[in-house]
Amino acid sequence: MNGVYIIKRLFTSVAAFCISVTIMFILLRLMPGDYITMYLETIYRYAPPDVVEAFNHVYGLDRPILEQYVLYLLDAFRGNWGYSLIYKVPVLTVIGEKLVWTMVILVPATALATLAGIGIGAYSGWKRGSKTDIALLNGMIFIRAIPSYWLALMILIIFAYYLNLFPLGGYVDTGALITGIDPLDVANHAVLPILTLFLFSVTGTYYLMRSSMLMTAGEDYIVTARAKGLDELTILRKHALKNAMLPMVTMITLECAGMITGSIFVETIFSWPGLGMLTYKALAVRDLPLLQGILLVDTLLVIAANIAADLIYPLVDPRVQVGDNG
Amino acid sequence: MAKRTVLAASIGIILAYCAVALLAPVIAPYDPHAITGAPLCPPDPEHLLGTNDLAQDIFSRLIWGTRATLLLGFIGAAVTVVIGTAVGIVSGYYGGMVDEAVMRLIDVAMTIPIFPLLLILTTFFRPGIYITAVLMGLLGSFQGVRVIRSQVLSLAVADFVTGTKALGAGDGYIMARHILPNVLPLAGVKFVISAQHFMLIGIGLGFLGIGDPSVVDWGQMINRASQNGAMILGLWWWLIPPGLAVTLISLALAWLGYACEDEINPRLRLMRV
Repeated sequence: MNGVYIIKRLFTSVAAFCISVTIMFILLRLMPGDYITMYLETIYRYAPPDVVEAFNHVYGLDRPILEQYVLYLLDAFRGNWGYSLIYKVPVLTVIGEKLVWTMVILVPATALATLAGIGIGAYSGWKRGSKTDIALLNGMIFIRAIPSYWLALMILIIFAYYLNLFPLGGYVDTGALITGIDPLDVANHAVLPILTLFLFSVTGTYYLMRSSMLMTAGEDYIVTARAKGLDELTILRKHALKNAMLPMVTMITLECAGMITGSIFVETIFSWPGLGMLTYKALAVRDLPLLQGILLVDTLLVIAANIAADLIYPLVDPRVQVGDNG
Repeated sequence: MAKRTVLAASIGIILAYCAVALLAPVIAPYDPHAITGAPLCPPDPEHLLGTNDLAQDIFSRLIWGTRATLLLGFIGAAVTVVIGTAVGIVSGYYGGMVDEAVMRLIDVAMTIPIFPLLLILTTFFRPGIYITAVLMGLLGSFQGVRVIRSQVLSLAVADFVTGTKALGAGDGYIMARHILPNVLPLAGVKFVISAQHFMLIGIGLGFLGIGDPSVVDWGQMINRASQNGAMILGLWWWLIPPGLAVTLISLALAWLGYACEDEINPRLRLMRV
């Protein structure tokens, strides 16, 4: 990786974070009512003027707007994201706690979906036009078209309600109050959310991998390999697969944003106590400090995915150094 | 081949939905907001899909909900495609500093997760359905710019463009008369795919309980049904129809989008070596 590229990436990341923060700052000022009306929803009307003044002073609302903005931006970088209105604890604390639970379902779902999507997509693209390929393609398009919330609801109804194979929601049984959290119990609760997120994600990876494989399969070096008399499996493994996988790495970013969206619906439906359900709860009670924290964390997740893609790229393709334009 | 049948079926479904949306007042037996009898009725000849907890006729609400779905999808897609095409053409045609600035801006914008941002904006400004659709279109337009721009990059140096320039044609004329017609098929595909995407997102907003409460939309119907125990009580006629309705139109648009993409990108077309 060369210096210019790193600087570019760093600049984009910091700029994205700053824009997220700035949007929230502007939103806070555009909102109907003052900060205090939001904080003391029902009783602010009765607050004496000197209390209001003291409140504004504590939150720096009596300073010039530019100074407020700079302070706001600095605090965002320092990790001082304010207090959640419902939980009454620092936003970052709430989010940190929930983020772990989101990762418990997000990481396995993404890993499985990436592996399966690449595998099935490569096979489908390699055998293009065959009955298997058409069937797989149609099946994937079908699953992709189902809204994630509807898919989650149907999976819940079928597997948890009618077949009674898995719990209806939550992350542990009530027995955990006595016995403590049992990892097996958590895993049992996590199966359906992971399955839904997996289905949601695998179709995208599959579709991309298949397209990429279609392009690769038409390349001259594949024809050459075949002319050399190599068997199909060797060509697929040693020549086609590696090259077809390259465009996949850059897709990680888009996939990450999609998974954040998916997890909001999936966690809400399965009552999984992660960032997604936190978003839903914060929306319901209009907890703006918490919502802005969630937006910032989501931005950071996408940035992290970007950087991960940059780091993975040279591993998949040793020829090119990322961003090395000559 | 079967592909033609599927394509015809998709177009048929989309047209049928449009017809239902336009004719909603004629088809729907009741006003979607009116109290029409006892609450939580099972389906019967009076109420084809029963009634909800507020005694509103579910079938009528389903019919009226078509309007919200199509509005969200088509308005959002129109905004996205117009912005994506306009900015993409200008950026790709002029190149240089303009292109660099637009591309860096999009790099930054694409790092911000659109859906959570949309959630926050809709929660706090409670926009109506039209503003929501435009907002979705705006926030979703970045990727479209990229797709159109990369197409324009190669068009801008094509011989026919150079030739037209040599004849003394202005930039505006070239972009409107020569570049635009060439990216229209791509913009068309983008429109279909975006429409599907925005319908799902728009209904998702309703599902999360932050839709426009003055309109009937399927997301809010699903939300209301699942929040009020339709699943546990086994009231399938309350929970299932709106979800099936979204899934069907989504499938039709996905098929149409896929078929169009296949058509304009010959490398993806199925061929045997």
